[in-house]
Amino acid sequence: MQNTLRKSHIIADRTATVSRLEEVVATSDEFDQVVAQALPILLDRAAGYTKRFLRETGQWNDDIEHEKFALRWGSEYLERFLVCGRTEVPCRPLFLFDSLVAKQHSRPEPFCYHPDLLKPLGRFLDGLVARAVVSRDALIALYHHSYGWGAGDVIAVTGLNGLESQRIYKNFRRWRESGWQRTMDEIGLTKMELAELENQRQRHRQRFNSEAERLIRVAQGHYRKSEPDHYPCLSRSQWGEMFSQGYGCDYRIWHLALCLDCMQTAWGLGSSGSSAGEKPRLELQVRP
Amino acid sequence: MGQEEDLELYRLQLLESMSERPSHSGRGLLDPIQVYVNERRVGELRGAEIEATLNIHGVDHIETVQLRTEDGRLLGGLVAPESGFRTNRVGLSADMVELCVHNTVQGGSLSAVFIPAPSFWTRTRSLLADIVDRWRSRRPDAVMAYGFRTVAFTQALLAIAVVGLVADRVMIWMAPEHIIAPTVQAEVLRTASIGEIEQLAKQLRELRSMQTKVGEALQSQEKGMTLLHQTMARLSSTQESVASSVVMVKEEMEKRQESPERETDRPTQFPAGKGLVDQEQFEVAIHGLAADNERLSKQIAGLEEHNRMLTAKLQTAIAHVAKAVEQNPERVVAREADLSRKHQLVPVADSRQSTQGQPFLFWVTFSEGTTQESIDQWVNGMKGHKGAQNEGWQEVQILPPPVPPDLFLEQIRGEKIIKEARLNH
Repeated sequence: MQNTLRKSHIIADRTATVSRLEEVVATSDEFDQVVAQALPILLDRAAGYTKRFLRETGQWNDDIEHEKFALRWGSEYLERFLVCGRTEVPCRPLFLFDSLVAKQHSRPEPFCYHPDLLKPLGRFLDGLVARAVVSRDALIALYHHSYGWGAGDVIAVTGLNGLESQRIYKNFRRWRESGWQRTMDEIGLTKMELAELENQRQRHRQRFNSEAERLIRVAQGHYRKSEPDHYPCLSRSQWGEMFSQGYGCDYRIWHLALCLDCMQTAWGLGSSGSSAGEKPRLELQVRP
Repeated sequence: MGQEEDLELYRLQLLESMSERPSHSGRGLLDPIQVYVNERRVGELRGAEIEATLNIHGVDHIETVQLRTEDGRLLGGLVAPESGFRTNRVGLSADMVELCVHNTVQGGSLSAVFIPAPSFWTRTRSLLADIVDRWRSRRPDAVMAYGFRTVAFTQALLAIAVVGLVADRVMIWMAPEHIIAPTVQAEVLRTASIGEIEQLAKQLRELRSMQTKVGEALQSQEKGMTLLHQTMARLSSTQESVASSVVMVKEEMEKRQESPERETDRPTQFPAGKGLVDQEQFEVAIHGLAADNERLSKQIAGLEEHNRMLTAKLQTAIAHVAKAVEQNPERVVAREADLSRKHQLVPVADSRQSTQGQPFLFWVTFSEGTTQESIDQWVNGMKGHKGAQNEGWQEVQILPPPVPPDLFLEQIRGEKIIKEARLNH
């Protein structure tokens, strides 16, 4: 009886919140206020839309991995809505939210979907690379997670100058302090799953790394599109000129972190050129 | 069941992180702000305590602009209109980023300006700098010199102000008897002369006008500073575009260097090949002409030979004819007469052949008293038919006569019943 009452209360609250979202909000503050009260509804709504998109495109399976995937992307859309929606006032928040999600889903390949990327290793890699696109800390940390390098190695490999070097150390520090954990939370990897990944890495190193290389290529291929248009793959001579003349710091940092092949191509052109030995292979690190 | 709990936990975790959203706290004071257009990273604003500008121009329409910290937190942004302007000020603690998007048919442009929070001293300094700048001639290209000048002058002015204040305080402390109570002040005013009051009023007016002038000067300096900032922004955007152009040019040069042989050989090989082909064509043409020439010379020689043979035959024939004439001259004359008659008859026969298909029409008038019977007999005798009659003239249609028309008409006119004859009515 109590349960029924509670449920009916929840339903009434949801209905009231939804109808409030359908009304016009006139100011940014009002928008913040209305939306803050409706976060669970909006998250479920966005996840529902993502689920429908996956079903309609034949990419859906009734399992927890797909549910988590839909929730993850729902939260991405919600985050963007929270920030950008307040500039759209006056508006009806619910309709604005629906249009934002629809716009995302109308794009070609709105997110990186691959069945293997829904498994713990795939989720880890996908989450890492996806985060690298929006976070410089994660981008720099990608060098560590891919090759096991520290800040000094990254500076040497990418041939950075003094000012940029300081930044790399800060990126590493912030990633260790909070970035890695936040990313793991966002992609929904539990402590057990992380421990299992670590275990696999130690016990079956070669198999683990070759599988990771296969999956990271899928993720990198998708997320590299978020780079500026003028950051394509280059030949060794082109990389060489860039390194020797000292331009394109951003180019080097962004592209080499997100492209295994170019890392092989440009290997040894940085300040570690003289001591460069064997070309780097993927040595996936789970912990920061 | 465990999976459902796991999922619910994940959902709650996401909601929690969403509702926390400490958007500004994640950014260090000196950390650059990452700028994303249409979810692609386009650059960063490196604004610590100074203004920084990022200008982006592209052929694609701008849909969204996002500002993120180094650790990926979304600080703010805007959704751009399909066409036209949209601006938004994103507050980052005390600092501010001003976004301005302009979408046109040709593409979109973004201007992001980082405006640091002005401190009290910064504001005072800039105020004084404006005044100083008004008094001195300003050169826009000497930005550094301007900064040093401003700082030096501000410091001097502050020192003078502090010294003045201290001196004032000291004077007050040293001469307490000079402090006048408000009641005494009123008494003094009452006892003061009109001249003194007028002088005071004059001084007040001067002070007011000076205040007004200072206000105007401040306003004009503010405008000047705005212009200067705009110029700086344009300059930085130009620098960026120049830098990107340099990169593009370098890439282009590299591409060209990669395939130098292909590109350089192609134009030289092409004319050489073309020359060879032309030469071969010329040679073939010359060979053809030579062969033709040879054939023609052979034909000419053959013709000359044939001509010589014909000449010889002609001479032989002439000789035979001459012998024959000498033997029978009458037969020759008769033959010549026959020949001439034949030549005369040929055109008549020809003309008959040509006109045989068509009837011959002519008009006649008959002599007075000629009966219709006689006329009919005459027409029948001509093997013809009567045609139309007009003004006494009778049209007659016969087979083409064997003689020319004029001669034929002349012959008819000679007949008894015919008065006149002609071809046309």
